[in-house]
Amino acid sequence: MRNIIQTLFLVAALSLGNTLTAQADEFTKEDLDIWQKEFMAVVAVGRTAFTDPNLGTNGVVCAQCHPNGANTHPETYPKFQKQIGRVITLPEMINWCIRNPLEGKPMALDDPKMVAMQAYITHERRNVKLAPGKH
Amino acid sequence: MMKKIFSITAIVLFFSIQTAFAEPLGLPPVPIPADNPQSKAKIALGEKLFNDPRFSSTGDVSCATCHDAAKGFADGPLKTSEGIKGLTGTRNAPTVLNAAYMKSQFWDGREPDLEGQSKGPFINPVEMGLENHEPILTLVRADRTYWKMFRKVFGLKKKEALTMDHVAKAIASFERTIISGDSPFDHYYFTNDKAAMTPAAVRGFNVFLEQGRCVSCHTVSQTHALFTDSRFHNLNVNFNSISGGVKALARRQQQDKADGVDLDVSILTDKAVAELGRFVVTGQWRDIGAFKTPTLRNVDLTAPYMHDGSIKTLEDVVDFYNNGGVVKAGDPVNSFQSGGIRPLGLSDTQKADLVAFLKMLTSPLN
Amino acid sequence: MSIINRRTLLKTGGTFVAGACLPLTNIRLAFADQSQDFTFAYISDSHIQHIKGTKFVRNWDQGLKRAVAEANLMSPKPDFVMYGGDLAQLGTREELDHGFEIMSALKHKTHYVMGEHDYYADLGEYWSSQVGKQYYSFDHKGVHIIVLNSILTDDHWTHERWANGTERMGVMAGLDDPRGSPFMVGAAQRKWLANDLKDISKDTPIIVFSHSPLQKLFKNWNFWTDDAELVQAILQPFDSVTVFYGHVHQIQYNQIGNITFHSVMATAWPWPYPESYAQAENHMPHLTVPINRADPFFERDATGWQYVDINSGKATVKFSLTENEPRTVSYDAKRGHPVDTKYVSRSKPPQNHY
Ligand SMILES: [Fe+2]
Ligand SMILES: [Fe+2]
Repeated sequence: MRNIIQTLFLVAALSLGNTLTAQADEFTKEDLDIWQKEFMAVVAVGRTAFTDPNLGTNGVVCAQCHPNGANTHPETYPKFQKQIGRVITLPEMINWCIRNPLEGKPMALDDPKMVAMQAYITHERRNVKLAPGKH
Repeated sequence: MMKKIFSITAIVLFFSIQTAFAEPLGLPPVPIPADNPQSKAKIALGEKLFNDPRFSSTGDVSCATCHDAAKGFADGPLKTSEGIKGLTGTRNAPTVLNAAYMKSQFWDGREPDLEGQSKGPFINPVEMGLENHEPILTLVRADRTYWKMFRKVFGLKKKEALTMDHVAKAIASFERTIISGDSPFDHYYFTNDKAAMTPAAVRGFNVFLEQGRCVSCHTVSQTHALFTDSRFHNLNVNFNSISGGVKALARRQQQDKADGVDLDVSILTDKAVAELGRFVVTGQWRDIGAFKTPTLRNVDLTAPYMHDGSIKTLEDVVDFYNNGGVVKAGDPVNSFQSGGIRPLGLSDTQKADLVAFLKMLTSPLN
Repeated sequence: MSIINRRTLLKTGGTFVAGACLPLTNIRLAFADQSQDFTFAYISDSHIQHIKGTKFVRNWDQGLKRAVAEANLMSPKPDFVMYGGDLAQLGTREELDHGFEIMSALKHKTHYVMGEHDYYADLGEYWSSQVGKQYYSFDHKGVHIIVLNSILTDDHWTHERWANGTERMGVMAGLDDPRGSPFMVGAAQRKWLANDLKDISKDTPIIVFSHSPLQKLFKNWNFWTDDAELVQAILQPFDSVTVFYGHVHQIQYNQIGNITFHSVMATAWPWPYPESYAQAENHMPHLTVPINRADPFFERDATGWQYVDINSGKATVKFSLTENEPRTVSYDAKRGHPVDTKYVSRSKPPQNHY
C-alpha cells in the first residue's frame, strides 16, 4: 500500500514538473525539419526510381500501372501472395514487379534505391490504417 | 506410466480411424463432398470397379488401362489414350494422382467433380465404347459380389435402386485415396530438411520460383503444394493448327452443343474441336485454346506432356516454355496465348537445374 | 411504354443463342425501328511501347492482338470498330506503325480517336498523316456520330515549355506527373461542334467519342476535361446523347442531364480507381460499380475490349475481359441512367477484393 502511494506521488510530481518547465528530451523543431527533409529527399529518389525506364529492361516504369504509387497497398504487408507461395514483405513484391512486368534484375533488399522506393510508396499512402495480411 | 502409454495409444488409434486417409506431407486435406463421404467399403468397391475391364464394349478396357498405377496413373508413352480396338482420342491421359484436389475435371474442366468425370469414358466411342450406362448396371446388379458390396455401401434394398450415380460415387471415393506427397521436395520445403534435394534441384527450385515464372500457375503454398492453380491457360501448344479457321470452328461447335451433340464425343473424336479447349464448355472468347494447369507431382512418371501429349520429355517442356510457348524459338504464337507466357532467357544450366527440381516431385511408392 | 417493359418482349434473332461467345450480339426491341439498331466494337489504350530495333513490349502487343482477334470473331460483324486513342506509348512513328499493323488484321472498318500518347511527340502530325482528321462527324443508321480530339491543352504549355517534342511527350505520358496540364477540347473545336450540330434535329440520337472523359472526375490523373461544362452545354439540348471515352483504363459510367457517359477498358494495363490514391480528392460518379483491383499475377487481368449495341440511340456496353467475368452496362430507361445489369449497387460490388 505504501508503495502505491509513493508511486502515485512520484507520478504526480513528474507531471507537475512537465507543465512547469520545457519538456525533457523533446526533439527541437529544427531537428524535426531536418529529419523530414532527409526523408523527403529519399522519397524523391524513390519517385525517380518509380518513373525510371532503366529500372527494368523493357522501358516499362512502375508508375505506368501505379500512378502516385496507388494500388500498391503497402499497409497490407507482410502478406501471403498466392503466386509466390509465401508471406512476403513489400520489397519482395517490388522485386517481383521488377522481374516480371519490367523484365529486370531484382535489387538487394537493403539497396538504397529499394529503401527509397518503399519510402515513396508508403509516403503516398500515408495516414491509411495498417491492414497486415489483407487482400 | 502405463496409463500414459495407454492414453497415447488411444489417441493414435483415434486419429488413424478419423483420418484413415491422412494426407502425406505437403498436401492439404482432401476435399470430400458432403453427399459422398469416404468409407473403407466404398473405397474397396471403387477400386474394384476402376480395375474391371468388363465395363467396356470389348471387355478389355478399364479405367486402369489409361490410368495405370505403374505409370503414375497415366498411360505413357502414349501421346493420346488408346481405348477399345486401339482407337485413340485427342487428349493425353491426365493422371488420377491428386485429381481429388482439382476444382474441375478433364483438361477443359467440363465436369465439376470426380463423380461426374468418372461416368464419361464408359460411353465414349473411342474410350470404353458402350452405347449407354445400362450394361454396367446390368452387370453389377447380376454379379453377386458387386451387389453385396453396393448393398452394404449404399444401404440399397432393391437392385433397381442401384444407379450409375452409385457407381460413380464409389469410383470417385477410390480416386480420392490416390494422392501423393511426401516427395524429396516436401521434405526440403516443409520439414526444412536441406539435404532432401540435390544442390542442382535446389537451384532449380529457385528458377521455378523466379526467372522461370513456373510458380505463377503451378502454385506452391506456405503449408502445402498442389502445383496447380486449377485455372485454364492457352499456352500455344498446338493452337496454330486451327488458328486459320477459329471463327467457323467455334461457331459450328457452339451450334452443335446447342443442338445437343455430346461434348465428350465431339471433343475426343474431332481434333480441331479438341483444340478449342475450355471454350467448348463456357463459350467465352477468353477460354479459347485454354487448358487446365496439371499438377507437377510425379511429373517425371507421366511423360509425354501437354493436353495432346505432343512434348516428349521434361527437357523439351522446359525448352518450350523458355522459348515463350513454341517448340522452336521464334515460331509464331497465337493471338489468344495467355499473358505471362514469354521467352524466359534461361541458360542451359538453369534449364538442367529446373528439370532436376521437377524430378524431386516424385513420391515414394507405397 | 418504357424500354424496360418492352424488354419483356425481347426476342433474339436466329437459333444461335448459346453462351457468351459469338452470340447474335444485338438484342432487338420488338417495337423499335430495327433499321436504326447496330453494333460496333470498341478497342482502346493499347500503349504500344517501343524498346529498340524491332522489339516492343510483348505484354502490350499481346493485349491489342487479342482484342483484334476476338473482335474478328464477332457474329454478326460489327458495323465498325472505334479505336479510342493511346495506340502508342510515346507517340513515335515506330510505335504508331506497329500499332496500325496489328490493327490492320481487323476485318472491319475502323475509326480512330486521338489520345495524348499519340499526340504530344509531334502534335499529332504522323498520326494524322496515317488516320486523317483529328475531329469529324458522320451519320450512321439514324445516329449522328461525332469524334473529338479532347486531349489538347493550352498553347503556352504546348509550345513554350519544352525543349522538344520528346520531352513534352515524356511529361504528358506520366499520368501522375505534376508538370502535366489538364486536357481540353478548346475553343476552335467547340465552335466547330456547335456548328456541326446546328442543323441536327433535337430528337436525333447523338454519340460522341473522345479520349478524355468530357467530365471532371479526378484532376490528378487527367480523368478530366477542363472545358467539360462548355462541351456538355452544347450537347445538352439533344434528347439523347451518349459519350464514350478511353484514357481511364477502367469501367466508369455516369449520367449528367441528357448525357450518358461510358468509359472503355484498355488492352494494355488497368489504372487504379482514383479512390485508391488517399491524398487527393476525386469526383467519381456514384453510379459506377467499380471492377476489381487488378491481380498483378495475371498479366491481362482487368484489361480487355468491348462491343456496344445501340438500340433506339441508347447503348448497351459489353465488356470482354480476358481474365475476368464479362460485364454489361446498359441504359436503364426507368432509372434514367446506365446500370450494370448484374451489379446495380455500389454496396454490392462484383468482387470484394481490397
Ligand atoms: Fe491510355
Ligand atoms: Fe490517355
